[in-house]
Amino acid sequence: MTSSLPRTPKSVAAAGALAAVLFATAAAQEPQHLNDPRLARLDTAARSLVAVAIDSARAAGLPTEPLVQRALEGATKDAPGTLIVSAVQRLAADLGRARAALGASATSPELEAGAAALRAGAGPAVLAQLRRSRRQTITVPLAVLTDLVASGVPVDSAAAAVLALAASARDADLIDFRRAVERDIALGAAPTAATAAAAAGVFGANALDVNAGARGARPGRP
Amino acid sequence: MFEDRPDLVDRIVTHLRRPVQIDPALDGRVMQEIAQVDTGRRSGAAVAAWRWLTRPRQFTVSPLGALATAAGLAAVVWALPGRGVRAVPPAENASQEFQFVVVAPRAVQVALVGDFNDWDATRTPMRPSQRGGPVWTAVLHLSPGRYRYAFLVDGSRWLADPAAPHARDDEFGAPSSVVTVGGS
Repeated sequence: MTSSLPRTPKSVAAAGALAAVLFATAAAQEPQHLNDPRLARLDTAARSLVAVAIDSARAAGLPTEPLVQRALEGATKDAPGTLIVSAVQRLAADLGRARAALGASATSPELEAGAAALRAGAGPAVLAQLRRSRRQTITVPLAVLTDLVASGVPVDSAAAAVLALAASARDADLIDFRRAVERDIALGAAPTAATAAAAAGVFGANALDVNAGARGARPGRP
Repeated sequence: MFEDRPDLVDRIVTHLRRPVQIDPALDGRVMQEIAQVDTGRRSGAAVAAWRWLTRPRQFTVSPLGALATAAGLAAVVWALPGRGVRAVPPAENASQEFQFVVVAPRAVQVALVGDFNDWDATRTPMRPSQRGGPVWTAVLHLSPGRYRYAFLVDGSRWLADPAAPHARDDEFGAPSSVVTVGGS
């Protein structure tokens, strides 16, 4: 008893001191992502700032690959460095908001899709409700929600439709649903009416009550 | 054979009917012999381990100890991988084949660039149609997720995919599209 118990606090203290030294050493070094050869396509100033943003995201437990890809997209499109840095920082903030809404267990694709949905105007409550309503991954429902909004569907209607379908629909059903909405919009239907009609088409006319009165406005198909 | 010796038959029958006293240690000696024969087939350590494992024991557990054991087992079961709100289907990581098509008349070269190839214009060149028409195609295997991409024509002109949703959060002044790959 006298030989083991007094050692434990010492061991803990030693381990803590070692961890502190290692942390301080790592913190004093350059951002780790400066060494990512892919970022060499950025100019020096932008590269440093992007690397800092990426390292901060990693330290916060956020996925970093979407940030790298956003920076590379900007570089390939010859965007100014300041624009690339702001885009990466903004995406990092959106990823953080998405994780706050979806929980720590959210996967990287889910966070990326969630960040896009938030950017499209969906509220964090919609993301959280989607998380609760679906046992499978919610990457596709979030992406479909974002794409519907991009097609002109009001965010509330898009969210209501996706929430109604997500609990039981397969990913493929949701993607077909989005295609049907886009096709009907291209044929001249109002976005809200197209959404309601396509949602009813997935599970039958009685399965959904999203703007039910608008179903008759669905245009005919070629 | 002994029909003419009934007295002899009677003596034999009487002898056979007489109770026989068996040594009480006989069973023990027989089992010991059997055990020795079995030991010859296995190593001593294995036999000892087998005996230790198969020997019945009695345990006494206090109610508090039983509760603690049950709580520990419940914690282990609860912490098993796959437990929780989400159950990821096996197909989530399965990649799917996608064909990207763009019409680019008079183009000399067309590249497909996006999140799936580090936005590197040299990695996924598109192929023109065999008849030499304006249709360019590329085929990729993509894992489930959401990808941004665009077509780069002749190294300078950006085209979004007219058959796919446009990326709403385009911040670089050139259009991008989005492809969503599902897992179920």
